[in-house]
Amino acid sequence: MATLEFKHVNKTFGAVEVIPDVSLFIPHGSFTVFVGPSGCGKSTLLRLAAGLEEISEGTLEIDGADVTFARPIERGIAMVFQSYALYPHMNVAQNIGFGLKMAGKPKAEITRKVQAAAETLQLDALLERKPGELSGGQRQRVAIGRAIVREPKVFLFDEPLSNLDAALRTQMRVELAQLHKRLGATMIYVTHDQVEAMTLADQIVVLNKGRIEQVGSPLELYNHPQTLFVAGFIGSPKMNFITGEYASRLGVATFGVRPEHVEIVTSSPHWTGTVQFSERLGSDTYLHVDVPEIGRLTVRAVGDAALTGGETIGLAPQAAASHGFDADGQSCPVRWNAH
Amino acid sequence: MTLTTPAGPPAARRRPSGFARMRTDGSLTALILFLPPAVLLFTLFVIWPIFSAVDLSFYKWNGYGDVTNFVGLRNYEILVKNSIFHQSLFNSLKLLLASIFLQIPLALVLALLLYRKTSANTAFRLIFFAPYILAEIATGLIWSFIFDGDYGISAMVANKLGTEPFYILADKQWAFWTIIIVVVWKYFGYHMMIFIAALQAVPSDLVEAAEIDGASSLKTIWYVKLPMIMHAIKLSVLFAITGALQVFDIIIPLTNGGPSNSTHSIVSYLYTFGLARMNVGFGAAVGVVLFALCVGTAFTYKRMAIDKGGQL
Repeated sequence: MATLEFKHVNKTFGAVEVIPDVSLFIPHGSFTVFVGPSGCGKSTLLRLAAGLEEISEGTLEIDGADVTFARPIERGIAMVFQSYALYPHMNVAQNIGFGLKMAGKPKAEITRKVQAAAETLQLDALLERKPGELSGGQRQRVAIGRAIVREPKVFLFDEPLSNLDAALRTQMRVELAQLHKRLGATMIYVTHDQVEAMTLADQIVVLNKGRIEQVGSPLELYNHPQTLFVAGFIGSPKMNFITGEYASRLGVATFGVRPEHVEIVTSSPHWTGTVQFSERLGSDTYLHVDVPEIGRLTVRAVGDAALTGGETIGLAPQAAASHGFDADGQSCPVRWNAH
Repeated sequence: MTLTTPAGPPAARRRPSGFARMRTDGSLTALILFLPPAVLLFTLFVIWPIFSAVDLSFYKWNGYGDVTNFVGLRNYEILVKNSIFHQSLFNSLKLLLASIFLQIPLALVLALLLYRKTSANTAFRLIFFAPYILAEIATGLIWSFIFDGDYGISAMVANKLGTEPFYILADKQWAFWTIIIVVVWKYFGYHMMIFIAALQAVPSDLVEAAEIDGASSLKTIWYVKLPMIMHAIKLSVLFAITGALQVFDIIIPLTNGGPSNSTHSIVSYLYTFGLARMNVGFGAAVGVVLFALCVGTAFTYKRMAIDKGGQL
C-alpha cells in the first residue's frame, strides 16, 4: 500500500497545455477513479503517475518519495492498459511472468508467483495459451495478473473495461472490486463511464479540461456537486438544468434537479407539462416532459409508469434535493422563499 | 400429436454440386472469361521459357541455326568439373551469407534507430534508401570510379598519404570483398525500409507495457520489438537470399568477373561463359542450375523459417 500525491503538476505537449496545475492526494489503499469526458486529461494524469509521460512542472510523490523523474520501474507501479497490451508472441504464463523475468527473479520463484496469480484470476488452465486464443475477459485477467504478480505499491488502470461487452464489463467490475478488497492496494482507475466510477470508487476525481472539478466519495459527488460540470457529469440520466427567469427567481443562474427528484403529482403541481416520449425499462420509466415555462425535463418514475406520450402530467421538484449554481457554475443555495 | 417437417423430393433437399452451383452463380462464366488469358500468359512467359531452357541445356548450340546438336548431359558435366563455376558458386554463397549476416543486421540496427517519426529520421532514411534507387549498373560504375587506383578516390587518398596506388578491384584477394561491400551498401536501405514499416506498426502500448515491466531499451528490442517484426525479418531474409543468388549487374562494371575470373557470381558466370561466348546450351545448363538453386533455397527457407513461424 502507498500514498500518491501530485503537487502542482503541469503538463504541456509543445504549446498545448493539457494539465494546467493539478494537486491531488491519493490515500493508502484507496480506489481512486479519475473520471471526465474525452480529452479532459485523465489518461494523461495516469500516464504521468506511471512515468510514461514526463511532468513539465511540479512534483509527484509515491509514499513520500519524490519520483518525478524516476523511471516507471523505480516507482513501484503496475499498469493495466485499455488494449490489455499483452505480448502476442508470449503465452499467458510468459506474459504474467515477464516483469519478474526482467527483474531477474529465479525461474522457480517466477513459476510459483505466476501460478498463484493465475489461480487468483482463474487462469490456471490457460497458462500455455497465447493471447490471440483468449476471450476479451480472459485477456483482461491476464493483464491484471501481469500487474498483480509484481506486487506493486500502486495499481494504475487505464479504461480497462472499455473494450468489453456490457455483461462482461459488469462481471469484471465486480471482480476488480473484489480484487481491491483482497489486495488492499492503492488503485487509480481511469474511466469515462460514470457507472464504473460510482460503483468502484471510494474516491472520485472529476476532471474537466485538465482541471480537477471536485474530489470526493461517489455519493458526496452525487448529492453535493460543487460545480455545474460535476452536477451534469455525475448521474444518469443527467441532472435537469433550468436557466433564465425561473432560475433567477430562485436566486441562482442555473437551477438543477435530478430526474429521480422530480415527482409526478396529481394535486397542486409545481409544473405542468406534456409527456413527449417515455423510455420504459421495466424497473423504471424515464419520461421526457415538455414544460412550457422552463423547457424539457427528464423525470424518473419508479416501475412502469404506463405513459407513452401526449399525456399532461403535474410535476414537483423535491426542494431538499435540488441544486443551485451561480453564473460561474459554482454551487450556491437555492432561495425557495424568494419563489 | 406428431409434428413432422414437410419432406420434399430428395433432389430438392440435396445441395447442388460444385459445377452446378458455378453454372448458376456466374462463377463458371467468370472462369471461362478470365482464366485462359492468365494461363496463356503464365505458360508463355514462365512455364515455356523454363522448359525451353531445360531442353536447350541438352544441346550444344551457338544461338544461330537449328538446335540439332544433342549432347545429353555434357553441358552439366562441364559445369560440374569447371573450377570457375565452383568459384562462382562459392562467391554467390559468400554474397548470400553477407546479405543475411551483414546486410540484414545493419538494416535492422538502422531501422531501430530511425523508425520514430522525426524530421531528422526522415532525412536519414532518405539518405540510406538512396543507393537502392540507383540503377545497379550506375552503382557499379560509381564504385568502380571510387576504387580506381589511377583516377579514383582511392588514388587520391593514396596520393595524399604518399603511398603506392592500390588497385583493389584488380587484387584477387580483395576484389570480391569490394563487391560484397557494394552489394550491402546498395540493398541495406531496402531492408531498412521494410523493418521501419514493421516497427512503426508495433503498438506503442506494448513498448510502454515492457517499460513498466522493467525492460531496458535493449531488452524491449529483444523481447518485444524483434518478435513483433519477425514476419518482416523473415521476408527480408527471403528477399536477401533470392537477391544474392541473382547478383549480376554490379559485378560487370566493377570487375567484369576478374581478376582471373575470381569474382563471378552464378549469373555473371552464365552471362560470360554462356551468352557472351555464344554457348547458349551451356548457358541454359547454368540457368537451370541457378533456377534449381533459387527455388530449392527459397522453398527450404520457407519450410524452415516461415512455415514454422506460421506467417510471412
